Amino acid sequence: MELVLLFISVAIINNLVLTKFLGICPFIGVSRKLDMAFGMGCAVTFVITISGALTWIINNMVLRPIGMDYLKYIAFIMVIASMVQLVEMYLRKFFPPLYESFGIFLALITTNCAILGTCLLIDMNNYSFIKALVASFGGGVGFTLVICMMGGIRENLEWADVPDALKGAGITLITAGIMTLAFMGFTGIGSH
Amino acid sequence: MLEMIIAELDLGAILTSGATLLLTGLFFVIILTIANAKLKVERDPMVEAIEAVLPGANCGGCGLAGCSAYAEGVVKDHGLIGRCGPGGDALVHAMAEIMGIEATASAPNRAVVHCSAHSDDMINSTQYLGIAGCAERTIIPDNMGCSYGCLGGGDCQAVCEFDAIHVIEGLAVVDYNKCVGCGACVKACPRNIISLTAIVEDPILVMACSSHDKPKEVRGYCKVGCIGCTLCVKMGGDSFFMDNGLAKIDYEKYPDEESRQKATGKCPRGLMVYVGSDDVAVRKANDSREPPKPVKAKTE
Repeated sequence: MELVLLFISVAIINNLVLTKFLGICPFIGVSRKLDMAFGMGCAVTFVITISGALTWIINNMVLRPIGMDYLKYIAFIMVIASMVQLVEMYLRKFFPPLYESFGIFLALITTNCAILGTCLLIDMNNYSFIKALVASFGGGVGFTLVICMMGGIRENLEWADVPDALKGAGITLITAGIMTLAFMGFTGIGSH
Repeated sequence: MLEMIIAELDLGAILTSGATLLLTGLFFVIILTIANAKLKVERDPMVEAIEAVLPGANCGGCGLAGCSAYAEGVVKDHGLIGRCGPGGDALVHAMAEIMGIEATASAPNRAVVHCSAHSDDMINSTQYLGIAGCAERTIIPDNMGCSYGCLGGGDCQAVCEFDAIHVIEGLAVVDYNKCVGCGACVKACPRNIISLTAIVEDPILVMACSSHDKPKEVRGYCKVGCIGCTLCVKMGGDSFFMDNGLAKIDYEKYPDEESRQKATGKCPRGLMVYVGSDDVAVRKANDSREPPKPVKAKTE
């Protein structure tokens, strides 16, 4: 039960994008089409889950025992960068069209602050390994959920009569703001 | 001071942290090396071979994102084979050999300036003393008499990577020995008077005017511009055609020498010019005088 609550908490109530404002860059950059947004969400979920687990292991098995907590930023970034490389190879091999459509944003998952943020949050809250897994996976699912919603809304916005001054990034940011307000309605449901 | 710092350094910690990071790094290196071997993407050797013979200028003249994208495009669609300006004919044959297809030589696309008015030929009622660039000048009303012609601000010269276009006496002139047809000047020209044209012959006859204005107005601001008299169409046959008061040449059926001579002989203006690689200067086609000495492009 606790794990389910934790999952819902990180995925929806404390959503990375809308309440912590992490990972805004792909949220705006790759949400133009729904299928691309979903692909990005899946890639980030994969990287975030693996990185969450690996960084937990490195942090608790290696860095803490030898008292080198301060190395965690470098170590975490190394893990994330390696995992992004792995995803990139995998996508190029099996989903070339997706790989093409991501372009630079795939490599930029490395600098996606949602991932490093999740790893650091896990470290800050001293989660157990299972909880770390659930939290990182939940974070990824939350990211996917929100970026897909954004993708769907933006696809429909293509047909809307947007005022000239707000076309493009402007209406996207306004949409993001309204989505944030909606997600704020969940505040207080969970205790995590 | 330095000794104090060194004395306070915890060498053990430095070594441990260094070794820790090195080891974790090594761990991921191993993982990624294995993954790289397992997930290696087999690139088409043909694409790689073509990429190797491409000029690598990444000029984008072919309309694709760069030389690498062009190599992939050519293998998928052989029709793209003649698109590479910098490579020219030699490249077409090299690529055709790699792909095992027959290549027929096609006319290369080169930039053609559709204006022939040097400073002396323009009749301006005002004198422009503002910012020199074309993009700035073109937005100012009445900056020159003709609202179509070359401004001579040198925006095309500035963007040309190949030093192939120069403003000579107020008119952009292409050096066809250097032009590769990348189209950078076409995009840079705010008046859209430069086009990429298939050079079916060298030198080639071009209609170097873009003005659609009425004869009276054209006579008022230009000594060479097209007045839409249609004499070339009448004399030269169906290779010449009128487009909204402006004579043009259909390069799909480039006129033979006889009809060209008839047309250029009758043209009362100076817009029909031959351009080509042996002569940097624009030469008036109906000019009975000796062609002007080629103006050597200034080299710095």
